Formats: sequence, C-alpha cells, structure tokens
Amino acid sequence: MHSELPVRGEEKLHIPGKFLLLILTVVCAALMILTFNTRIFSGVFNTVAGIIVTPFQRGVTTIAVWIGDQAQRLDNISRLQEEVSALQEQVDTLTTDNTALQQNQYELAQLRILYNLDAQYEDYVKTGARIIAKDAGNWFHSFIIDKGYNDGLAIDMNVLAGSGLVGRIVDIGPDWARVQSVIADNSSISGMVLSTADNLIVDGDLEMYNEGLIRFSKLTDNAGRVTIGEKIVTSNVSDKYLPGILIGYITTIENDANNLTKSGTLTPAVDFEHLETVLVIMEVKQTGDSN
Amino acid sequence: MLRRVIITAIMMFVCFIAQTSVFGAFSVTSSTPNLMMILTVSFSLMRGDICGMLVGFSAGLLTDIFYSDLIGFYALLYMYAGYLCGRFHKKFYPENLILPLSVITLADFAFGIVSFIALFAVRQRFQVLYYLTGIILPEAVYTLIVAIFLYPLILRVNTWLEDIEQRSARKFV
Repeated sequence: MHSELPVRGEEKLHIPGKFLLLILTVVCAALMILTFNTRIFSGVFNTVAGIIVTPFQRGVTTIAVWIGDQAQRLDNISRLQEEVSALQEQVDTLTTDNTALQQNQYELAQLRILYNLDAQYEDYVKTGARIIAKDAGNWFHSFIIDKGYNDGLAIDMNVLAGSGLVGRIVDIGPDWARVQSVIADNSSISGMVLSTADNLIVDGDLEMYNEGLIRFSKLTDNAGRVTIGEKIVTSNVSDKYLPGILIGYITTIENDANNLTKSGTLTPAVDFEHLETVLVIMEVKQTGDSN
Repeated sequence: MLRRVIITAIMMFVCFIAQTSVFGAFSVTSSTPNLMMILTVSFSLMRGDICGMLVGFSAGLLTDIFYSDLIGFYALLYMYAGYLCGRFHKKFYPENLILPLSVITLADFAFGIVSFIALFAVRQRFQVLYYLTGIILPEAVYTLIVAIFLYPLILRVNTWLEDIEQRSARKFV
C-alpha cells in the first residue's frame, strides 16, 4: 500500500505512510525501553494527564453515581416500609445481644492489654478516596482514585476497603492515583496464615477471579495445621505491604506435586464487584534498603 | 486542518472518559468496550492509513499514560491497527456499514490476541481457551454493539468536516 496517493481532502500531506510508521515504531520502542528501565516520563505525563483528564472522569462518575442513587432510592422506598416493622423486632433482640457483646468487648480489651497485642491496623493514619475510573481494558483490574500526592499519598501506599486489602498505589499524579488490586493478574503478594504464621504467596489470577477466588501457592505447612477457612493476612516479610492486613479466607487447599508445599484458593475479604470508596493507609512500609 | 485536529482530539478525549468511567459501570471487574479501537479504525477507514496511524498512536499513548506500566506499548498496538486498517480505505464508501463494523470487530479481536500474547503468554499463562471465551470475545462483541451506534456518529462528524473543507477549498478557486 503506497499512501503517496493523496489522502482525501489533504493534498498537502506527502509523507510516505511506511516512513512515518517506521519513525513512530522507533519512538514507541524507545519509550517502552525508557519506561521499563527508568521513571523519566511518569512525572511529566502524569501531571499533564491529571490536569486534563481526571476532572472529567471525576465529574462523569459523580453524575452517574448520582443517577444510580436516585433510581435506587425510588426502588427502595416501598421495600423500606415493609422492612421497618421487621427491623423494629430485630432492634429489640439486638439490644439484648449488644449488652452481652459489650461485656465481651471489655473483656477482649483487657485480654489484649494482657497479651500486649496492639489492635493491628487501627493505628495507621488512613484517608478515604473515591474510585473515579477503572482500567481501560479488560485484562488487569486496576482503577483510579481521586487523590494524589497533593493529598499526601505516595506510590506503594496500601489501599483497603472495609477490613480487607484492596491493593496498592502503583502510579500517582497531583490529584489522582492508580491502584493495582490484589486480584489483578500481575499482582503477587507475600502473605501468611494468621493462626500458624506460615508464609505463602498470593497471586492474582484473571481466570480464578471470575469464580470470586484468588490463588495462593508455596505454602509450607508440614504439620498440616492449616485448614479451610483460615485467615490469610499480609506477611511481615512483604516489601510493599504493611503486616497483618486481611487478604481473605482459605477456600481450598491441595498438596503440590513436590509434596513439600501446598497451594489452593482463597476468597478475598473485599467485594471487588461493588467498590466505590477505599481507604488509603498514609504510611509506606519501611524496608531496610529504602533509605 | 487545525479544526480537524481539535475535533478529533475532543472525540478521543470523550471516548476515553466514557470508556473508563461510564462503561465500567462502577465495577472494577466488568467488561468494557474498546472505544479507542472504534475511533482508530473508523478514522483509518475514512481518512487513510496516515490519519489512522496518528489517531491510533495518540489513543494508545493516552491509554498508556494512565493504565500501562510500559508507555508506548498500547501506542504501538493501536498505531499498527490504524495503519493496517488503512488498507481498506480504498474500498470505503460512507453508505457501507458492513465493512467498517466487521473491520472494527476483527481489529479488536486481533488486538485482544496480541495483548494476550504480549502480556500473558510471556508470563506463562497459557489457558488460551479461557482468555478467548472469557475476555477477548466478550470485548469484541461488546465493542461491535457499541460501534453500531458510535460509528455512524463518527462518520457524520467526518462528513461534516469534509463539507466545510471542500467549501473553503472552493472559495480559493
């Protein structure tokens, strides 16, 4: 295909197509090599993109969420009226339960002090952020939140929703940040079983996730103490994640072919289908080599 | 010429925002149509390979900046999509809807295959059948459905631009 024949309406353009293709291919290759080895561009590009694109994404998402909310509100009114009477009964029973639980809570607090266990991640300073856009493709589950380094965020900060781990910040601009979720296929986390402190690796897997699961592997558990339903948390030796954040619960375990390690699946603690807001921990894990 | 560049940039911008915020339907995991591919292929068919290449390059770069760890990867893919689809420019007539829609779907399908090879197969994820039926095909079908509505819009904008350009060209004669 010779594109020297003039493009319709633009007789002035006479660069041969193949030549331009070659130049741009070289530019792309150079960009890829540069970004693979350095972070030269991310600062400049991210700032420009953040100024131009993010406000629109934020606006569109806000409007769409608002419309969705209004529709749901109408739908809810009739259902709510029925629920009110049912709930009133529940309130009575719960009040009784609550009193009992408060006593337990008091007892727990006492025991914690006794064992010198700090409440794990209640101590971290957190900030809330809203999800304003998701990944442009269907391959990796990353998304954009509406806070960036102007709000004190930084790359590698951990992101939670509810009580579970969502992921970590991998890219940042002045007022936006990209979060890579733990279910993303290119994510891999060092975790441990809460009760036995056995280390394992949690890998995001696109295929697994559609069944609502993520994969784990390399669990060394010679004593066979780890059972289905155990909590998996981020491990102390992870270099990006703060220790003790809940990732999920073991769903299946099986022995690997080497008979030394085990692998299986776990159900994430976070409902990734319905994420709207997340919490960012304003603290980056300190590893020995960082300073 | 300048008017064309500005309007194309605005269209790309709107498509990018729609792709990332509206069509995501606020779920991080649901399938989204590839509006960038629709835009690239449409311009490539309507205006030839050079225009397609440039639109593809910019669309890819925009995606790269936000969502890729390797800036330049999507730019390269979309650029080649634009360039290759430019081959059908000679066979293009505004009345014909079948050609552009099938080229868009094929291009998105090929884009999915190449993404799979470059991003997944190299990391030893070989469940080809799953990725084909679970990710690539749904995206292609969704893209086709959106293209049925979006393509005529892009076409209309292009015809309008060509009208203006021809009129101003006639003034000089």
